[in-house]
Amino acid sequence: MQNKTVYTALKAFKFLVIFVIADFLFGTVAKQLYFGQETGKQARITYSLKQVDTDILILGSSHANKHFVPNVFEQNLNKTCYNAGVQGQGVLFQDALVKMILQERKPELIILNIDDIWLYENNSNYDRLSDLHPYYWDYRDVLKPILGLKSKIPDFKLIFKSYQYNSTLVHAIKYLVSPQKDFEGYIPLKGVIKPQIQKGLEKRNESTETPTLDPNFISAYKSFIATCKINNVNLLFVVSPWYEQNDLSNNKSMHLLKKIAKSENVPILNLYNDKRFLNQDKLFNDTSHLNDTGAHLFSEIVAKYAKSNTFDTK
Amino acid sequence: MLFNSIDFAIFLPIVFAIYWGVFNNNLKLQNIVLLIASYVFYGWWDWRFLSLIIFSSLVDFYVAKNLEKNSNPKTRRRLLYLSIFVNLGFLGFFKYYNFFAESFINAFSFFGQDISFQSVRIILPVGISFYTFQTLSYSIDVYKRKLKPSQDIIVFFTFVSFFPQLVAGPIERATNLLPQFTSKRKFTHAALSHGFKLMIWGFFLKVVVADRASIYVNAVYNNIESHEGLSFLAATFLFAFQIYGDFAGYSLIAIGTAKLFGFDLMTNFNRPYFSSSVSEFWTRWHISLSTWFRDYLYIPLGGNRATKPRWLFNLFITFLVSGLWHGANWTFVVWGALNGVYLIFEVLLFKQRKKNVLNIITTFILIYFAWIFFRANSIQDAFYIIKTITTNLGDLYIGRGPDKTAPIYAALAILSLLVVEIKKEYFDSLFSISKHKNEYVRMAAYATLIFVILYLGVFDDGQFIYFQF
Repeated sequence: MQNKTVYTALKAFKFLVIFVIADFLFGTVAKQLYFGQETGKQARITYSLKQVDTDILILGSSHANKHFVPNVFEQNLNKTCYNAGVQGQGVLFQDALVKMILQERKPELIILNIDDIWLYENNSNYDRLSDLHPYYWDYRDVLKPILGLKSKIPDFKLIFKSYQYNSTLVHAIKYLVSPQKDFEGYIPLKGVIKPQIQKGLEKRNESTETPTLDPNFISAYKSFIATCKINNVNLLFVVSPWYEQNDLSNNKSMHLLKKIAKSENVPILNLYNDKRFLNQDKLFNDTSHLNDTGAHLFSEIVAKYAKSNTFDTK
Repeated sequence: MLFNSIDFAIFLPIVFAIYWGVFNNNLKLQNIVLLIASYVFYGWWDWRFLSLIIFSSLVDFYVAKNLEKNSNPKTRRRLLYLSIFVNLGFLGFFKYYNFFAESFINAFSFFGQDISFQSVRIILPVGISFYTFQTLSYSIDVYKRKLKPSQDIIVFFTFVSFFPQLVAGPIERATNLLPQFTSKRKFTHAALSHGFKLMIWGFFLKVVVADRASIYVNAVYNNIESHEGLSFLAATFLFAFQIYGDFAGYSLIAIGTAKLFGFDLMTNFNRPYFSSSVSEFWTRWHISLSTWFRDYLYIPLGGNRATKPRWLFNLFITFLVSGLWHGANWTFVVWGALNGVYLIFEVLLFKQRKKNVLNIITTFILIYFAWIFFRANSIQDAFYIIKTITTNLGDLYIGRGPDKTAPIYAALAILSLLVVEIKKEYFDSLFSISKHKNEYVRMAAYATLIFVILYLGVFDDGQFIYFQF
């Protein structure tokens, strides 16, 4: 038994060494692929963290990314602007992102596009924090507590480069082969709303279940505001319009988002059920995303509001 | 506890070290370690449901002992009924109570009779369908005097709750597994190495193939009004590999884990999509369940040793019940019935189907069609999907936002899986990296596979589909 154990332990050790070498070699290639991207979502996150140095920074989910046209803000406010909105990301991600960005640079104004469901429980918001894994060792102090909300022992897991760059391959190859044009981070959507998309999303409103608020999301939202205040960065929160009229009177998440912003004196521009957008086929790509025409109109409205409510009041 | 969780990654080495390192020379203590580990593994979900396993084990242990002692046929039959009543009673209550009650009420409403019914919120204990079938087969085998009952309560309890296969099989027969608890297990490097290899491939099937495919499948099947025929065709194709990767993956991890402790579990999947007939498919898919139904339902009904109509009836009933076993929903019943109908047609139309590409593709299409019912959220959804496929192919949904890359990963994973399986199915004698003479080549191959799993897999603690059954 003793000999067998030693023999097996030796084999296991050899295998471990080979795995560590494989992880290092393949992982280095994965890292090069990841940071070699010049366009696409991942390249924009890297750019936001490492290089962006504009007066205005826009944060939020795909609604931020597809709705805010930096060029419009630059013309209206005479300030530089970058759109760092990231598809599918909720408030946990925004909290982490702002903490990492503000370690290096401080914009004058951060505009955060908030989604009405941001404070409701949603596992995807935890899962999608994996977008931050490639930056873990550069920003460990910020990321460890946030990634630790979902993942046990992140320090151990992220030792492996394979795990650190998990699920980045296809995205990296896609944008290396076919670069995506963006306009200071803004990605315009072309085309108008399709009837079948509209039909499918109607189902969303039929749900009778009351979602639960997630305390981690509430803390992250408060932390986001606190981080900006400590760093003397002006804040403006915006709620993007929807194609269809939705009753938000029973939306606890939205109520709390507004209540916290109000208590912290953060202005909110709520365009959710704004008549200029309601049922305007030509302004929407789907029920929750504006197309390029809609985004320009929306950005004009927000820029004018920002001019009179943030910079002018300073 | 899930196999694809960090909890299991910590749990397994601890149990392994205690089992081999501390109690290597004591079979009884090794069994106790396995029993405690199995209860911890199961209790990790919900410790309250341990009482069901313990009660079920207790009943079958004493039923079997009394069956052995007793020669009076009436008493023996009563004892068997007690075991069946307890096991199927638990299963019936936890899994089927609401389903049958609601179906009953709906049937009455159809004829204009309104009966009020308040559905009860029942949590389905994980793996109940698996361990009740395992322990039930033990009682039946002892009743038929095919098996001597276990005299050691620890051994029997460990057999019922053995953690590698407790929650999703393979559903082991007592004749295979029980004797392994009473014979000395040997610590061999070959078994350990084999076990790890099976586990690694199992994880690939689960987190790279199944979980990737599930992202697209769920996006389409959970929002059917937004999609058209092509998307349903693509989602069902991916689902065929999702369910295979999920379940075959679980089985391989289970078999591999058992090997680490010196146990041999039965093969549960044997490249089923290379079957040239539906009947062959069922000898290669979920083998432990198919053979269970063959031995404890189909043959007792008369099997094929009956008149042709009766034989066909036996086939149909077996598949109908198998469908219901998979879930308390009419979708599973129709899925089972459809497979039964396929087999009836095969019996009537073919003597034996030749092994060729055409028959393999035809079989895949039949199985593929049946998966629509298996995956759809309701019968209405299934018919809507079939109708849309036949009337409106439309555009192919390619995913939205962050999920856009999921089908590409899934396609790459399925392609890799098919390459490996084609090689195993048709060219197994040709070269094999896993059997390469040089151990460094073998190790590098598996190290690369682990890299691929960590690099391309989905890590959100995804549940195994078969846990719900």
